[in-house]
Amino acid sequence: MALLDAASIAKLAGVKVRARAVMEGVLSGLHKSPHQGQSVEFAEHKEYAPGDELRHLDWKAYAKFDRFYVKRFEHETDLRAVLVVDASGSMGYRSGALSKLDVAATLAGALSYLLVRQQDAAGLSVLSGGRFSDVPPRAAAGHLMTLLSALETLVPGGPTNLPAAADHLAEGLPRRAMVVLFSDLFDETPDALRRILQLRSRKHDVAVFQILDPAELEFPFDDPTLFLSMEDERRLEVNAREIRESYLEELGAFLAQTRAQCTEMDVDYQLVRTDDSLDAALLQFLAKRQGRRR
Amino acid sequence: MSFGHPWLLLGAVGALLPLLVHLFDRRRPKPRPFAAIAFVLRSHRRTASRLRLKRLLLYTLRTLLLLAVPVALARPEFVRPGSGALRASGPAATALLVDRSLGMRFRDGDTLFERAREEARDALAGLLPEEPVTLVPCGPDVEVPAAPSFERARLREALDRLQPSFGGADLNRCLALAARALEDSPLPGKRVVVVSAFTAVSLQLDVPAPRVKVADKLVQPEVVLRDVARGRALPNHFLLEVKAEPAPHLGSRMVAVTFTARNVTPGEAQEVPAALELAGRPVAKAFLTLAPGSTTQKTLTARAEAGGALAGAVTLQADALGEDDRRDFVVQVPRDLRVLVVDGSPNSVRYRDEAFFYEAALSAPGSPARPTLRDTEAAWREKLSDYDVVALLNVPAPSPEAAARLKAFVEAGGGLWVSMGDQVEADSWNQRLAALLPRPLRLVKSAGATGETALRPARLGDVAWDHPLFLPFTDKAREGLLAARFSRYMLVEAGQQAGDSAQVLAAFDDGAPALLLARRGKGRVLLFTSTVDRDWSDFAIRTSFLPLVQRSAAYLAGGLDERERLEGHVGQTLVLRPETAGAVAEVRAPSGARVPLRPDADGGLRVGPFLEPGIYRPLDTAEAPALPPFAVVLDAAQSDLTRLKPEALAAYFGEEAVKGPAGASEAKAPLWTWLLVAAAVVFFLEGTLLRTP
Repeated sequence: MALLDAASIAKLAGVKVRARAVMEGVLSGLHKSPHQGQSVEFAEHKEYAPGDELRHLDWKAYAKFDRFYVKRFEHETDLRAVLVVDASGSMGYRSGALSKLDVAATLAGALSYLLVRQQDAAGLSVLSGGRFSDVPPRAAAGHLMTLLSALETLVPGGPTNLPAAADHLAEGLPRRAMVVLFSDLFDETPDALRRILQLRSRKHDVAVFQILDPAELEFPFDDPTLFLSMEDERRLEVNAREIRESYLEELGAFLAQTRAQCTEMDVDYQLVRTDDSLDAALLQFLAKRQGRRR
Repeated sequence: MSFGHPWLLLGAVGALLPLLVHLFDRRRPKPRPFAAIAFVLRSHRRTASRLRLKRLLLYTLRTLLLLAVPVALARPEFVRPGSGALRASGPAATALLVDRSLGMRFRDGDTLFERAREEARDALAGLLPEEPVTLVPCGPDVEVPAAPSFERARLREALDRLQPSFGGADLNRCLALAARALEDSPLPGKRVVVVSAFTAVSLQLDVPAPRVKVADKLVQPEVVLRDVARGRALPNHFLLEVKAEPAPHLGSRMVAVTFTARNVTPGEAQEVPAALELAGRPVAKAFLTLAPGSTTQKTLTARAEAGGALAGAVTLQADALGEDDRRDFVVQVPRDLRVLVVDGSPNSVRYRDEAFFYEAALSAPGSPARPTLRDTEAAWREKLSDYDVVALLNVPAPSPEAAARLKAFVEAGGGLWVSMGDQVEADSWNQRLAALLPRPLRLVKSAGATGETALRPARLGDVAWDHPLFLPFTDKAREGLLAARFSRYMLVEAGQQAGDSAQVLAAFDDGAPALLLARRGKGRVLLFTSTVDRDWSDFAIRTSFLPLVQRSAAYLAGGLDERERLEGHVGQTLVLRPETAGAVAEVRAPSGARVPLRPDADGGLRVGPFLEPGIYRPLDTAEAPALPPFAVVLDAAQSDLTRLKPEALAAYFGEEAVKGPAGASEAKAPLWTWLLVAAAVVFFLEGTLLRTP
C-alpha cells in the first residue's frame, strides 16, 4: 500500500479516520521488517538451566555450538505515553489543505492507535487558549475512542506557552512516561523549548514533532503584505520580497537551534511539514527510535 | 551652456514621477495572518535601515534617469570661452600663430606655452578637412612661414617640437607674416588663429591690423584669439638690472653688486629673498619688499676668492616666471699687482724720499697693488719677471745690461712707469732706453716754484679724459687734477717724426707733454715728465694723485682693459673687438651649444644671436678660454606681463572678427551624448540595486 500524502489525508473527514488511515500505512510499512513492531524484544542469550522454558531454546545456537542456549526477551509492558498537542493560535495556520493543528491531531491519533494496539497506556494533554485539557493515560481498548474524540474537537486559539506546558506535565506525570509533543514551537519566551526538554532530567522519554507550514518554511510572498499575528495584536506592513532572505536566515537559525537543543538533551526530534506524507513522517520517527534502542 | 531644443526641457518635470508615485500610489497591502510573525518582525528590524537607504537611492536614481533623458533630448552644449575656431562662411586658409615669447614660460599649474600647444592642437583639430593651414611660431627669431598646406601630421610634429624662447615676440610682425603666407592660398577665406597671452609688450595696438591681399584688394582676415591666460592677470616680479663692480674701497677683491628688482604684481611682495652667487656659490643674501608697480634697488657686497673675470648671478625667489628672477653677470675683480718701485733718490726723512708718496698711494687700503721698494742698486738685482710693473722714480739711466733686461721685461708684457727728477740725465737715458721711452728726453724746464711770482707754475691743460686712466676723473675730481701745479718738468722731443707711436695722455698748459704712453711689444710704458715727490710739483699731495697712480699701475698691468664691460641680451648679437677676437674659435652657450660667429664689417667678430641667458665662454681652438666669459641677460621689458584689455583687442582686430568678451571665440562642446551615457549607467545601477536583496 502506498503511503498517504497530505492531500489525500485531507480528503478524509475527521481525525479518527485520518488517524486510522495513517496508522494502517504505518503498520504496512512495519510489516516489511520482521524485527519491528514486536511487543517484546530480544535481549540476550543464557545457557540453559533446568526450569527454563523449552520454547525459548535457540536451536540455531545449539547447531552452531553444540550447547543449549535460551533466548531472553525484554517486555514493554510498562509504557505510559502522553501525547501533548499544542493548539495555540499559531497552530491554526494553513497555506495548503491541512493546518498545523490538523497534522498534529492526525499524528497524535495515529500514534494513539499504535500504542493502544500494543496495549500500552496512552494519554493526551492539549494546550489551548492558555489552558490544559488532559485525558489520563490508559491501556484499555475503549480508551482509544476517548482520545480520538478529544483530538477531533480541537480548536486553535490563544498564545503558545511551552514553559506552562512543561510545568503542567512535570506535575501531572509522577511516574516515568513517554512525552510526545506536537507543536510549531513558536514561543518567544526565553528557554521555552529547554523547559520542555528538561523533562528528560525527570526520566521521562521525550519526543518532539515540530510541525511547520511550507509557507512558513519558504516565505513565498512577493507583494507588500500586512502580516497579522495569529496569537496577539501584532501586525506589520512590509514588502515581503525585501525581507525574504533575512526571514529565511532567522528561521533557519531557529530550526538549527531547536535541533541542536534536542540533540543535546537526547530528545527525538522530527520536523514535519504540513504537506509531508504523515505516515512516512511517523515511520521515520519510529525507525529513529528503534535505531536508538538497539 | 546652451540647448538645441530648449522646449524639450519641459520633460524634466517627469523627474517628479518617482516622488509622486511614492506619495500618492499607496496600494493597500494584502492582510495575511501569519504564524511566524516573530521572524518577520525580527527580519524587518534587521533590514529596515538598509532598505530605507536602498529605497532612497532608488528614488534618486530614478529621478536622475527621468531628468537625464529630457535634458539630453534638449541637446545641451557647453560653451567654452576662448576656444574653438570661428567659422567663416565656407572653408578658410588658416595661419596658426603660436606665441613663443618669454612670458609664455609663466607657470600656472602648467606653463602657458604648454597650454598654447594644446590650444593650437585643438584649433587644428577643429578645422575642416578642406582648410589648409600653416604654422607661424612667433619668437625672437621669426621666419617667413610656409604656404598653407594640408600636411596636418607634419604640422602636429612641428607643434610638438616647438619650445618657448627666452626672448620677446613681435606679434605684429608675426601677424603680417601670417597674412602674407595666407595670400599664397587660392581659397577666398582667410583666417589667423592667434594663441598667446596677449601681453602689452608683445602686441602694439598703434600699428595697423593685418590685411590680406585677395583679388587685388586688401581685406581683413578672420582673426581668432585664443587666450592661454584665460583672462587672468599674470603677476610677476623680476630683476630689471644687475650692475657688478669691483669695490676696492671696501677691501681687496671686494665686489659690489647693485641690482634692481621690479614688481608688476597688483599686490605687494614682502620679504622676497634675494641671493648673490659668485662662482656658483651663494655669498650674500637679502630680503626685498616690492611694492606693486615699483622698483627696488639693493647692493650686496662680497669678497671674491681670486682676481680676474668672475661669473656670478643675482637670484630672487622664483615666482610663476622664474626665468627672469635670475640675472647673470661677469665682474672683473682686480688682480693683485706686484709693483717694483725703484727709488732713485732715497732719503732718511720719509716725506722727502722720492718714493714716499708713490708707495703710499699704491699701498692705500683697497689698492690692488703690492709695492716692493728698492734703491737703484738693489733693484737691478731683482728678477723682473716676478713683477707686473716696474716704476723708475727719478732713477739714473740704468746700465746697458739692466736696460736690456728692462726692455725684455716690457716687451714680454710688463708695465713700466718712468717719472723724472734730478737724477735723470736726458742724454744717458736717451742712449740706454731709447727703445722704451715714448719719446726721447730733451731738457728740464722750470716753470716757477710754488709761491714765486716771476714764473707761473704750469698746470695740466689738455687731458685725454676718455682714456681709461682718466675715466674716474669727473667733476670735482677733474678739477682736483687740473689744480696741480708743476714748477719743473722734462721736455721731450716733438712727436712729428715718422714711426712715433707715443700717445700724449696729458699735457701742460704750455703744450709740453706731461704724461705719455707708448706700447713696446706686449707691454706699456708711461712717462711722467715731472716728479712724484714734491721737488718739481705739488701733484703728490693732491687728491688726484692717489687714484691716478693706482690706475696707472693697473693700466700698465692691463687691468683696466679687462674691466671693459661685455654683456649681451637674449635675441641680440655682440661684437668682439678686432684686437681681442683673433684668438676666438668658438663661443659656448650655457647649455653647451655653439653660438653662431661671423666676421663683422670693422674686422671684429659678431657673436649671436643669443638664444638663452647665462654665462657664455669664448674658447680658442684648443677649447681653452680665449677671452674672459661674458653674461647674456634677458630683455627686462619682456618680463612685464601686463595684459592687453579685451576691449582694446576687440577694437584693434574688430568686433566682427573677434568673438567673446575676452577677445576669444566660443566653442560648443556637446553634452547630450555624455548625458545619455550617464542615463544608461544610472539605469544599470538602478537595475543592480533593485536586484540587491
